[in-house]
Amino acid sequence: MTTATATPPASSAPHAAATPPADRRLARARLQSEVTLAARLLAPMWPLERFIAVNPLGGLEDRPFEAALTAAEDAFGARGTLDEPAFRAEHLRGRITDGDLIAALIQRIGPDAEATLTLGGRQWSLAEVLRCDLLHGAPAPSPVRAARTVAERTSPRLADLVDAQTAKWCSAFLGGDAAGWRLPGRSLGLYGAWRELASADRSLPAAARRVLRDLPERADDALLDALDRLGISPSEHRGYLQAHLTCLPGWAGHVRWRAQHDGSAELVEYLALRVVHESVLLATAGERRSAALPSQAPNAAALQSPAERARTVASVLGTAADASAGELQALADVLERLPVPSRTAVWLDAYEGHYRDRLLSQLEHPRAHGGGPDASPARPAAQLVCCIDTRSEGLRRHLESLGAYETFGFAGFFAVAIRFQDLLGGQPSELCPVLIKPRHEIREEPLAGAERQAARRIAGRRLLSGAEEGFHGAKDDVAGPFALAEASGWVAGPVAAAKTLAAGRYGAIRSHLARRVEPPVPTWLTVQEGFTLDERALMAEVALRMMGLTERFGRIVALCGHGSHTDNNPYGAALECGACGGQSGGPNARTAAAILNGPDVRERLAAQGIDIPGDTWFVAAEHDTASDRIELLDEHLVPASHQAELRAFATAAHAAGELLSAERCATLPGAPKSPTPQEAARHVRARGTDWAQVYPEWGLAGNAAFIVGPRAMTQGVDLGRRAFLHSYAATADPTGTALETILTAPLVVAQWINCQYYFSTVDPEHFGAGTKTIHNAVGGIGVLSGPGGDLRRGLPWQSLSDGDRLVHEPMRLLAIVEAPLERIDAIVERNTVLQHLFGNGWVALAAREHPSDPWLRHTPHGWQPWTTQEVPAR
Amino acid sequence: MISTGLTKMTKIEVVVVGGDVPAVRALFQAAGATGFTGVSGISGLGHGGYHQGRLLFNEQDTLELLITVVPDDTAGPLLEGLGTLLKESSGVMFVSETYVSRPEYFA
Repeated sequence: MTTATATPPASSAPHAAATPPADRRLARARLQSEVTLAARLLAPMWPLERFIAVNPLGGLEDRPFEAALTAAEDAFGARGTLDEPAFRAEHLRGRITDGDLIAALIQRIGPDAEATLTLGGRQWSLAEVLRCDLLHGAPAPSPVRAARTVAERTSPRLADLVDAQTAKWCSAFLGGDAAGWRLPGRSLGLYGAWRELASADRSLPAAARRVLRDLPERADDALLDALDRLGISPSEHRGYLQAHLTCLPGWAGHVRWRAQHDGSAELVEYLALRVVHESVLLATAGERRSAALPSQAPNAAALQSPAERARTVASVLGTAADASAGELQALADVLERLPVPSRTAVWLDAYEGHYRDRLLSQLEHPRAHGGGPDASPARPAAQLVCCIDTRSEGLRRHLESLGAYETFGFAGFFAVAIRFQDLLGGQPSELCPVLIKPRHEIREEPLAGAERQAARRIAGRRLLSGAEEGFHGAKDDVAGPFALAEASGWVAGPVAAAKTLAAGRYGAIRSHLARRVEPPVPTWLTVQEGFTLDERALMAEVALRMMGLTERFGRIVALCGHGSHTDNNPYGAALECGACGGQSGGPNARTAAAILNGPDVRERLAAQGIDIPGDTWFVAAEHDTASDRIELLDEHLVPASHQAELRAFATAAHAAGELLSAERCATLPGAPKSPTPQEAARHVRARGTDWAQVYPEWGLAGNAAFIVGPRAMTQGVDLGRRAFLHSYAATADPTGTALETILTAPLVVAQWINCQYYFSTVDPEHFGAGTKTIHNAVGGIGVLSGPGGDLRRGLPWQSLSDGDRLVHEPMRLLAIVEAPLERIDAIVERNTVLQHLFGNGWVALAAREHPSDPWLRHTPHGWQPWTTQEVPAR
Repeated sequence: MISTGLTKMTKIEVVVVGGDVPAVRALFQAAGATGFTGVSGISGLGHGGYHQGRLLFNEQDTLELLITVVPDDTAGPLLEGLGTLLKESSGVMFVSETYVSRPEYFA
């Protein structure tokens, strides 16, 4: 139970000098809720330095996927799937087959797909004529934003000015801190600060500035007045506010995050700033609302009519000349069962079906070999627990190929939601999924006797930080750059050349220097202070049961978090661990290992039926996904009795990393195509330190599946680093609690990541960040494409494609679960979030209870066989 | 039966999913409520079926109960705003009379 006291923001103080009329107070309250409802269309946008993947249409997950795409098209003018020419190109190159299309059509229209109709004396199945329409019908026109503001409809020039003013003031208010200067009056909030300065804004006409002198004190009052001036009635408020929120969804999404995160800006303030600008500029320019506010459907006329579609299909089938008018009408009726705007949904089903059918087929008969977690009674050489991140799949696969190593997948925060303060001090990091708040404070302290080393390291860090801050401070200062160029140009030039031309060597020298200035220090974490014994025992049991590791412990169990170290990469956080809030997971692995090594915790676990042998040691590690190096952490804490095994494991992990590097080089632009593992390792290390490299790694590009089950289910199968792998053993979870946790937390985060990749790929203009080459960073909160405009959302194009070639195949997530079906049903039934994801088509679900069972598909009508019956092509 | 010295006020209890809690809190603030109490991990049975209470690693999709007490003249606008919100959201609201000993804390 939590209790809190609300503190109203300055700009919306509840008690003005005089009590406002009752109707105004009612209007304010109604407006507040309308803003909340309007903003549901908008995903909150985290600052770039802590990049959190989100579904940009997350607020629409209570609707069926296709309905959400239609809403997004109206609101943003955005595309929700690849367009038809792109899908047809995929068909041409064989990525989508005719069989995939037929199967998708059967899924959509049911058994009728096998019915036939006659055209010019020949019989055709409905599936065949619809397939012909998919391949040859005139493509649907590009989406157009239907909900528009008054300014957008009456004066595009003023609409652009409203956007420019919004971007300017948001940038000044929200980005100023990180840029080293603060907007005057910032403590008054976004609206208050703008209100103080608006009438002095020389970029506005004098008449507009005069009006802005007399704005009300409260943002909600200003917004109500402005809506009234524009003639927007209360019943139209929500739609109208939504039109404003979707003009610059990046800035609005970031304000929404601020409102939820720390209240430093509110959407009512943001909207007041926009709508006041609009009403004042329209009024002073003599431009007024000229019409009512109907939603437009500008594309309706451009769609092919059913009759036109019928003629096209008949022509392609070679029956146009012979078909009667009645037959053509019957054909048109059939085609109407798949409206033109829905065709891309069928293409998407086919595109996904191709991948999913093959994946599930591979998992029917896994080529399990070596020591799977439940494949051999022998004790494994060592066990490695990785994050569920798709990149871990490659590491696990290669390590397993090198010996009797067992691997597991678990959310990379290892069930410890911590606020972590490292030895160097500074701002603590919140290391847990954003679905929860960190509840435990953990500090890093030097070991007894290492205090002097620690002091030297801290001093070294301060020296480097001071130099860096001084350099950047001088660079950002008004006159500083001139002096800076004189003072440091002689060294900055050669350094820049080295970073560009010899990135690998430069990185090695820099690491060497850093080790000299900031020598490593043996440390420990204050785990006993951060957690009570009850909490540690609970965390340990939860983690082990969730991953199904409750017996057959090896002597070494490595908990491996991950991070990504790249240079000059504003999107670096997008490559870090999503389960750790977009940061490296090493501290979580260290915390979890310390907990699991505790004798008191093991005693509690034994009482719960989990016997960890006395000679089992949990060791922490971190996988750098840019370089594929696996660094062991807290080695100094490992007993001497385990050092030999630890060395052997480290050697194998190093070799697995090199093999993974070689695999990755095949798809990294500019990488050697057939390198030795050692050459590959050198190459990927150099990429991470190359400040001009726009493709340091592919991150989670390609992600498409989330697999929950024992490793035996997937072992020996090359999943191509496309699947999130969460270990799970149904037998170790009789209550289903572990499965419920997996489906309501790791799956949800994976779906956010999947949707971010998906939408950034299908519409990079609206949902992605565009090309990195023209990005301008705004005070650590985001990037702009060029000098102004909206804060870019989603992922940059270089995270998704190599030029025009898509590296990320935009597919919705397929969840594959091996567990009793009744257990899955019960979990879905009591969790609305899962009903939305599975029931509305945001995530597909396939399951089986036993390895020998066929895969079943979760549908609104219950479990159905996964395999679809194909109509043979004539 | 009410003891002497107590002041009549309105108690509003709202159950919403964790993701909607910031919106309700903002509404409380905008309407002039001076505080609230939050209880997380609420479970229960509603017209939409059983709702799971505490989820181990997801606080956004569990239900939370927010309770506030306001003077009667503040209750009207607050109920208007909550009513608008709950028309489009899952959640329930209970409104009742209550009595407090220190009314200055609530106004």
